[in-house]
Amino acid sequence: MAINILIVDDSGVMRSMILKTLRMTGVPLGNIHQAGNGREGLDILDEQWIDLAIVDINMPVMNGEEMIDRMHEDPEMKEIPVIVISTEGSKARIERLEHMGAAFIHKPFTAEIVRDTINSILGLGENDES
Amino acid sequence: MRAKLEEIMSKVTIDTLEKLAFMFAFPCEGEEGEPSDSIAAGSVSFTGPFSGTLVMTISIEVLRELAANMLGLDDGEETTEDHRSDALKETMNVVCGNLLPAIAGDEVVFDIGVPGVLPADQEIKRGAGIPDAIEPSARVNLDLDEGQCVLFLFLDGEIPKDVVSP
Repeated sequence: MAINILIVDDSGVMRSMILKTLRMTGVPLGNIHQAGNGREGLDILDEQWIDLAIVDINMPVMNGEEMIDRMHEDPEMKEIPVIVISTEGSKARIERLEHMGAAFIHKPFTAEIVRDTINSILGLGENDES
Repeated sequence: MRAKLEEIMSKVTIDTLEKLAFMFAFPCEGEEGEPSDSIAAGSVSFTGPFSGTLVMTISIEVLRELAANMLGLDDGEETTEDHRSDALKETMNVVCGNLLPAIAGDEVVFDIGVPGVLPADQEIKRGAGIPDAIEPSARVNLDLDEGQCVLFLFLDGEIPKDVVSP
């Protein structure tokens, strides 16, 4: 099963890094969509079939935490798995995100961490890869 | 305290450059001033149990390599000015985001501002909005194959002793 992924980060370089890393993970990729903030991310979620959202926290216009909150309020979006990729170092803030149902990856990250987190949150086994 | 801050800052920056861009940096001691060749500079401010600004100056050649590696460009592919600015800002964001918990632990909360690129024609402290009288609380010089990277940590006052991670 190919996975359609939305990458939301205000840094174009970081979006490219995440995309490059996704291609190294062996996870079967479908369509990859990109957004520069939470508002744009919600617009794409509204229009496209997305299996996984990868979201930064500190972004202009709408930050990642607010985007996740809005997703939870929308019946069409609330079940979409979310991985937060951020530099956040506070245990309390990371726990709050995890309580919201998001998995957390700390920057800088490796392809192995991204792969394992995706497999865990989507319940993928080895047979689903490549 | 300064030696400890510099040790942490050096370790965090070396680790960040390696993991973000597969670039290997080494501390070089005893050098003052900024990188002698053409440089770019950026800054990011933070607030929390202690507040301040992290400033990074970086040789243009290091920045070109940093941006190309972060983007995964092939040899010969050129980065744009936007790529390089974005790479510098994102690197500063990651260094700062890892530096603060390395100093103070993960129980405290910091708010990290939006990183910015400093104007090329201005003195660094002025460009970063740091008063002339304030000296850096820590400074780290790193050598890379392509040039140098220098980090300055400016603090608004002292770091409270009770927030420093053992």
